[in-house]
Amino acid sequence: MYVILVLIFVLIFFKACIKSDVEDSIKPVLRSKDYLVENFYPYSQKNVTINGVDYLQSQAPIGKFGGTFISSTIGEGPKTFNPFNSKDNISSLMSDIMYDGLLTTDVVTGEPRPKLAKDFSVNGNEYIVHLRRGIKWSDGMPITADDVVFTWQNIILDGFGNTSIRDSIVIDGKLPTVQKIDDYTVKFVTPKPFAPFIRMLSSPIAPKHFFGPAVSRGKAYFEGFLSTNTDPEKFVTSGAFRLKEYVPAQRVVFERNPNYYVINKDDKKLPYLDKFIYLIVGDVNNQVLKFEGGELDEISLQGANVARFKEMEKHSDFKVYNLGPDTGTMYIAMNMNNRKDDKGKFYVNPKKQVWFQDKNFRQAVDYAIDRKNMVLNIANGLGEPLFTPETLNSIFLNKKITGHDKNIEKSKELLLKSGFNWDRAGHLIDRFGNHVEFDLYTNAGNTEREAIGVMVKQDLEDLGMKVNFKPIEFNSLVNKLMATMDWDMVIMGFTGSPLEPNGGKNVWLSDGTLHIFNQRLEKDLNSKRYPFENRLDYLYTQGALATSFEARKKFYDEYQEIVYDEKPLIYIYSPIRIAALRNKFKNIFPTSLGGLTHNIEEIYIEDEK
Amino acid sequence: MQILLYILKRILQTIPLLIIVSLISFFIIRLSPVDPLAELRLNPSVSKETLQKETERLGLDKPIIVQYGKWAKSFVKGDLGVTSNGEQVSTKLKERIPNTLLLTVVVIFLSWVVGIPLGVLAAVNWKSSFDRILTVLTSVGMAIPSFFFAVLLLIFAVKTGWFPVGGLTSSNFMEMSFVQKILDITHHLILPVTVLFTLSLAGLQRQMRGNLLDVLDSDYVKFARAKGVSEGKVIFKHALRNAVNPLITLLGFEFAGLLSGAALTEYVFQYPGLGRLILEAVLRSDINLVMASLMMGAIMLVVGNLIADILLIITDPRIRQGVQA
Repeated sequence: MYVILVLIFVLIFFKACIKSDVEDSIKPVLRSKDYLVENFYPYSQKNVTINGVDYLQSQAPIGKFGGTFISSTIGEGPKTFNPFNSKDNISSLMSDIMYDGLLTTDVVTGEPRPKLAKDFSVNGNEYIVHLRRGIKWSDGMPITADDVVFTWQNIILDGFGNTSIRDSIVIDGKLPTVQKIDDYTVKFVTPKPFAPFIRMLSSPIAPKHFFGPAVSRGKAYFEGFLSTNTDPEKFVTSGAFRLKEYVPAQRVVFERNPNYYVINKDDKKLPYLDKFIYLIVGDVNNQVLKFEGGELDEISLQGANVARFKEMEKHSDFKVYNLGPDTGTMYIAMNMNNRKDDKGKFYVNPKKQVWFQDKNFRQAVDYAIDRKNMVLNIANGLGEPLFTPETLNSIFLNKKITGHDKNIEKSKELLLKSGFNWDRAGHLIDRFGNHVEFDLYTNAGNTEREAIGVMVKQDLEDLGMKVNFKPIEFNSLVNKLMATMDWDMVIMGFTGSPLEPNGGKNVWLSDGTLHIFNQRLEKDLNSKRYPFENRLDYLYTQGALATSFEARKKFYDEYQEIVYDEKPLIYIYSPIRIAALRNKFKNIFPTSLGGLTHNIEEIYIEDEK
Repeated sequence: MQILLYILKRILQTIPLLIIVSLISFFIIRLSPVDPLAELRLNPSVSKETLQKETERLGLDKPIIVQYGKWAKSFVKGDLGVTSNGEQVSTKLKERIPNTLLLTVVVIFLSWVVGIPLGVLAAVNWKSSFDRILTVLTSVGMAIPSFFFAVLLLIFAVKTGWFPVGGLTSSNFMEMSFVQKILDITHHLILPVTVLFTLSLAGLQRQMRGNLLDVLDSDYVKFARAKGVSEGKVIFKHALRNAVNPLITLLGFEFAGLLSGAALTEYVFQYPGLGRLILEAVLRSDINLVMASLMMGAIMLVVGNLIADILLIITDPRIRQGVQA
């Protein structure tokens, strides 16, 4: 009797939970690219001078002031608010909001564009940057050449904080120099012409009067400077927003910087929004719940959620946007290591080395993989097959590489050419009579990679290979890849840059720290290279030294061709980034390079009526 | 005097215990194949020099025993060290402890204030329909996994819009008046408290009911009734005092759970408490932070038991005589 009562209570409770959900059993279909809204940003910003102050004027429609934008980040939240100490994406995101760089990237063309600088000129290895006159930090102090020289000389070049910028601009062991010409002009000189340097000029600029005292107290002090425990009142920023409040594990609140140098067509100072909030959420599920509960204004979507949100869009107050291909890449790598460890044992079983070092074998694997099927079933149709190390929205993408479909016949042909054969049971055997059997790893917990692993296993088993698919814990996997190197095949991913291939030098240079398919430890740095590795070394070095885009593109085109031909990494597919945003926000012009909120200062809220 | 001596003895006993706990935890964390720098290693834009610098900063280039010695030395001095991000562990913990305490204290308070009377009522009205309904409800409460229950409640919050989806404060918390702030926190606390309360109430109510039933069945209660003592007096003066002893031991354990008991629920509700902090620290092998929280847990357990024992000495004359003898 009571049991029934309780059951009824529980049932009523469950019923309340399934009130207005949508059918989520929508079958995935390969969608055309125009399935989701895609707009282009039509309004470039212009320099205007009013009363001797060089403002940047937004050309977008005039909006209303006020309101709050609530976004979110997954994970633990920022680890520091010091732009020069950030080592993780979230900390960098936070400092990007608060600190502008001299230059920025045009969200349509990918060209460098002035931001904190009024204009700039490049002459070989000389970079002259003119600053805006009369613009101010959030505390009212002027932004001058002293700040720029201080940031570059005393923080970046002297190796304070995270030295990744400094490390990436060392050319033949020499560093660039920076010099003040007058209060509003700065000259940078690189030891040689070095094309990637221009991108480095978008690094944040620090206020000298605020960072100076911290720098003079040494590197150890600087590590803890502007940690997350700093009083928000103290922050001096140049970006559209300044820090207002940080509540650990809950949120970061930014308020508008009253001294921001971007104005609208009415000559009023932007940004329109009063507050910009990042909620710190623990995982994707919670993020989705928060968006559905109305606590978030923006969310990026993945997999099955895309179809569900697209259904909900019709009767909801948000819109789903297509932001183009993701900048990350996913690939299959084979261990081409042919060296021995300290004990004289091969890292890779010599029997397997014969397979992985055989170009025909690698190509056969490539032809056996059904990328379209993966896009359809794993990415819910929201992705595109990928064949090159440069992502699909990269300005250096080699468009001549068109790829191919799955072709089992071609795979078999390639294997036969290398002396492989099949026994009566259909198992693949190499020319020494060994059965082809190896382990395929990926990091457990990444459902996308696990799904890819299962499909790769099936595809390769069509060729008679025996694949033992083993998802293992991320840290253990990295240890295998980087230290013990006792792996056969792995599915991994890298983050990439659509603007600068030189960011991948740690992967492609043969002595790189992430030369994953043939990782060399300290003691092996001088070991023999494969011929294509030598060629890649040459192309990567030259590509960075050439200055014009066309000259660089030639080098990077060839590197993509080599990777496509030699298959040290077999690229799989590139997911499309999808995001949802509430309709009340206007001046939304998402682009592939800039994302949804690149013009955050122009975004405003329309009154809901 | 005897009691003080007893307390001193107990405190001395905990020292080797803590050393053993710390040794085991430290070695397990460090010997696991978790590499605190794994994320950095797989980032193409991180240079060799940066990796080398990080390794040195975290002391990973030294043998484990040296790392342990260094940690133990500063721990004894009261310095908990820094996290892998370079923040002070003590500040990091201080941020979170009040939040977790708020949650657990509310839950413990509610479950005792509601659970004990319900247990007594159920025992007194043994086999009545009231007792049976309670038995079914507490069975459900004990059987439902807290994780699952929490997820259900979250979905409930999203679909009805009556409750916020996790967190502790609203995003405009800073601009609220004092009363609004209290209401806001209460609003956020309702769901996580419901989950933990359901679980802890069920156990407590059953324990109380069982104890009291045992005592009510004993000879001296029968004797008291036979003597003509009023029913109220029998229960509250004679039976309850004896039935409450095992609950005091339980209270000791609840004290230990004050800072660590709600990790799972905290995680589901995105509650900014210690549990979430520690879980994230374990995942990236942030040794100082994990060690600090483990030691805190161990100390809380020891202290909780000590408090329970002292309370028992005070309430129960039999134990008091045992200590003195």
